[in-house]
Amino acid sequence: MTDSALLHPPQSWRQYFSFSTDHKVIGVQYMVTSFTFFLIGGLLAMLIRAELLTPQLNLVSRELYNGLFTMHGTVMIFLWTIPTFVGLGNYLVPLMIGAKDMAFPVLNAIAFWILPVAGTLLLSSFFLPEGSAKSGWWSYPPLSTQLSSTQGLVNGQSLWILAMVMIGISSIMAAVNFVTTIFWMRSPGMTLFRMPIFVWTTLSAQLMQLIFLPSLTGALLLLLFDLDFGTHFFQPAEGGTPVLYQHLFWFYSHPAVYIWALPAWGVFSEVIPAFTRNPLFGYRSVAIATFSFVPITGVVWVHHMFAGATPGWMRTLFMFTTELVAVPTGIKVFAWTATIWKSKIHLDSAFLFAVGGVVMFVLAGITGVMLGALPFDLHVNNTYFIVGHFHYVVFNTIVMAYFAAIYYWFPKITGRMCSEGWGKLHFGLTFLGATLNFFPMFPLGLQGMLRRVSSYDPQYADWNMVSSLGAFLLGVSTLPFLVNVIVSCFEGPIAKDNPWHATGLEWQTSSPPPKENFDSIPTVTEPPYSYGDARYCVQDPTSRY
Amino acid sequence: MTQASPRDGQPIHQNQNDESPFNLQQLRRNLPSWLQRFIPSGGGQHEDHHGKGMFGMTIFLLSESMIFVSFFASYIVLRLTTTDWLPAGVSGPEASPTVIFHSAVLVSSSFVLYFAERSLKRQQLTRFRLLWLLTSAMGIYFLIGEVQEWAGLDFGLTTGMGGGTFYVLTGFHGLHVTTGILLQFIMLGRSFLPNNYENGHFGVSAASLFWHFVDVLWLILFSLLYLW
Amino acid sequence: MIVKLGEAIVLAIGAAAIIFISYWLGQQSYSWMPPEATLEAQKVDGLFSFLVMLGSIIFLGVLGTILHSLIFCRAKKGDFSEGHPVRSDTLLEILWTGIPTVLVLWIAIQSIHIYALLDIQGVPEVAHAAMGMKAAYAAAPAPPVKTVEVTVQQWAWIFHYPEQDVTSAELHLPVNQRVRLAMRSKDVLHGFYIPAFRLKQDIVPGTEFDLVFSPTLEGKYRLQDSQLSGTYFSLMQADVFVESPQAYQQWLDNAAQNPTPPVDLSVAEAAQPPQLLGRRWGENHSPNHLQTAHSLPLLP
Repeated sequence: MTDSALLHPPQSWRQYFSFSTDHKVIGVQYMVTSFTFFLIGGLLAMLIRAELLTPQLNLVSRELYNGLFTMHGTVMIFLWTIPTFVGLGNYLVPLMIGAKDMAFPVLNAIAFWILPVAGTLLLSSFFLPEGSAKSGWWSYPPLSTQLSSTQGLVNGQSLWILAMVMIGISSIMAAVNFVTTIFWMRSPGMTLFRMPIFVWTTLSAQLMQLIFLPSLTGALLLLLFDLDFGTHFFQPAEGGTPVLYQHLFWFYSHPAVYIWALPAWGVFSEVIPAFTRNPLFGYRSVAIATFSFVPITGVVWVHHMFAGATPGWMRTLFMFTTELVAVPTGIKVFAWTATIWKSKIHLDSAFLFAVGGVVMFVLAGITGVMLGALPFDLHVNNTYFIVGHFHYVVFNTIVMAYFAAIYYWFPKITGRMCSEGWGKLHFGLTFLGATLNFFPMFPLGLQGMLRRVSSYDPQYADWNMVSSLGAFLLGVSTLPFLVNVIVSCFEGPIAKDNPWHATGLEWQTSSPPPKENFDSIPTVTEPPYSYGDARYCVQDPTSRY
Repeated sequence: MTQASPRDGQPIHQNQNDESPFNLQQLRRNLPSWLQRFIPSGGGQHEDHHGKGMFGMTIFLLSESMIFVSFFASYIVLRLTTTDWLPAGVSGPEASPTVIFHSAVLVSSSFVLYFAERSLKRQQLTRFRLLWLLTSAMGIYFLIGEVQEWAGLDFGLTTGMGGGTFYVLTGFHGLHVTTGILLQFIMLGRSFLPNNYENGHFGVSAASLFWHFVDVLWLILFSLLYLW
Repeated sequence: MIVKLGEAIVLAIGAAAIIFISYWLGQQSYSWMPPEATLEAQKVDGLFSFLVMLGSIIFLGVLGTILHSLIFCRAKKGDFSEGHPVRSDTLLEILWTGIPTVLVLWIAIQSIHIYALLDIQGVPEVAHAAMGMKAAYAAAPAPPVKTVEVTVQQWAWIFHYPEQDVTSAELHLPVNQRVRLAMRSKDVLHGFYIPAFRLKQDIVPGTEFDLVFSPTLEGKYRLQDSQLSGTYFSLMQADVFVESPQAYQQWLDNAAQNPTPPVDLSVAEAAQPPQLLGRRWGENHSPNHLQTAHSLPLLP
């Protein structure tokens, strides 16, 4: 076993708390840190759903409630969803392209270490006398710049902005690293159209960060000036306009949702072929569709402002572009479905999560197409229909993909296998909990229940109770996962190099890989997902399936 | 499997069979050489630290430009729509001879920088250091001029949209000028280390590109703030 | 992909079942919505029904395909041989790119027709003319008969009826008459939303927003603030009455005689039970410089 093996000799765990420049260490650091923030964000969600269990306000005050959903959204997006896939990509991309490390290892480490600092700063705002930011994760002015007379320069909203800017800097560093790595560090023979789809999705997502994130930074800096330094860019009474903020904000935040989703779709594209023993159907279309998101998602942002101060011609224009973004999304879904058709399926936990995620993603995508239809959106905008739609994306698709990825690459990262039984239990609880928690939001929204309310009309009580119970079930469902992952790190059976008989360069090296990933840099001569190749088309009596 | 040198221009791949819809190598060969150096020619370039570094620096600067694009867009939108640009009697930023001179100094410093870099490539170390230092001095001169201009203006940060956008735009630009000068000082210091340029002069090239970026930004800023 | 006759029959039955269920769901979808209280609501519900039907076909189709494979295509233990060697099928990929493109464009075009009826924020006629569909529009929407001025602020909805100079906390509208709401916010972003009307418009402070529509169903409805506006956002609600023109006139005359000015909605907070985790972080206050000449009467 090599010296980078996880938890084999006791002294190796220390490196996860150190300033290591090894992408494998940094990847794990990202993932563990972001999972911690996931649990914190989940706790905030439990409080929210506990309040919404009954129509009246009886658990938290209105201000605290507004702070809860603001921080829940912010933590989940910027400290969980984005960093965890940056972490996974950090670990996997160099391996998948046959490189020894990322292009800029020191930059990589710096980008990671910003995150725990920014996250702590953000969460510390709960302890300020006037509390955290509480204007929603969008922080729309003029609400977000309304300060009470007792608040000074340092307040929940300004800490929020500061933390976001820090996270933004970390993201740009990571994006520069990923894009350079993927363009420059591929091994001989690894042409762009031999890269696994996970690398394509990482490349596309990180390019989008580079192009669009600065718009959010600009918006936040101007907001900070309005908040603390007396300018009036977004204050209508003094000649400014809040609509400018909205455009700058959504110009990033729409592509952002694809930045969150693309790596998850990349995970599906890796896991599904491995457990169906089929090449990914339509690899070339999927690769091109993936990359096409970079320009296409940049021209749809106004659909978040359909009900706003948007002239009719702009609403109709952006409705067309919004509806068209369904096409590359559909290409991927149909490709996965065709990969599963006529296959030889091994029903492992990783695959269950992947398939469960794909099925729920279809519902997420369909509700998305519905929302793109302007008159319908005017009815359900800012209702629970939207909340249901995006949670079907971020939880029922992206988190499912995350769990699929963990079960799939756990042997590679830790050198041990985790328990299948606990994995299946985890899947069952998660799938049930997620459906109970988020499906009721669709009828609630259709019936007109607004989002971000802390108390509601009694007619909405039944569905809210189902949703809250589902949320508590989801909270409980994390336990088998934690038990499985932690215990298996110590007690799991030792994993082979390629326990799934999967294609991909990461499986051609030991589990876990040596310090420089490969004994010698491999040369690639074949297309990806060659499940017909004799090396993968094997009979393995020692496998669990 | 031996690796071909990344500089000989030949594609690395032994086997071109992949599903690429177009021939990327052909596309790259048809580009001018100054553009080619930013774009890898296929797998196996990890030894080319200079090319890799300049690619990273270039995409970073393109991203950084987007912050300024968002500021420019905000400036244009506010200028066109607000009812409160500047109060009556306040004339706003003026392209006085002083301002024009300072701008000329900043923009010329890019040319000085170009000659500095050329001297380094020709291994004329002393000449490089002198021209490099001159560039920094011109940058500092510009910054001092900016501060003096700020002190002499009859509007502040909170004086309408005009005041706010002016100080935010010039302030962030000044921040980038300062960063550029700091980078130059670091590179100047490192030029005194023995064998500093054994692995190429990526640091100098990167600091150089950053400075040109800062200058181009000023040209746009100047047009928006003073000429419009 | 080789499809045998038996399989073809199963697929055909499955497809027919999916289409039937989807059609049925589309019909059911009307009952998932609040009552249709405007002309526009009927159109929106029709669009939604179509979207539900289409969405169900896609969802059930994908789900059915996957379930079929999960049940019938399981590998034997230890067998890691290839499922099938096909990597792509150009015709299939063209179909599943082209058909969705046509479908989504169709949805967008249908939506423009409906949006034109809503007459919100501008010039849908331009879009129509551009697509040569002007002739399809038999009659342009009638001009509004009356205007009600709506003012929203932290924390109240205030309705002003200019013909009798009545100010009220209730919105009364005569049935089957086209009405225009002229809306303004005095402080932060708010949203005007009546679910039964299928209408929503965010109100950005500093600009007037017009909403024109025709209520068609008498009844009592609820107006809610749909854009987060601060501490008492959840309480920003008002009653909406759609009534016969006679009842409307009666109410208006009565209100002119006995004015009841709107009160601050946050007083309803006293009716809430005490909170367990009640930290007072400070309510949202309009900053001093936003105070206007029209202060709210009778605020505590």
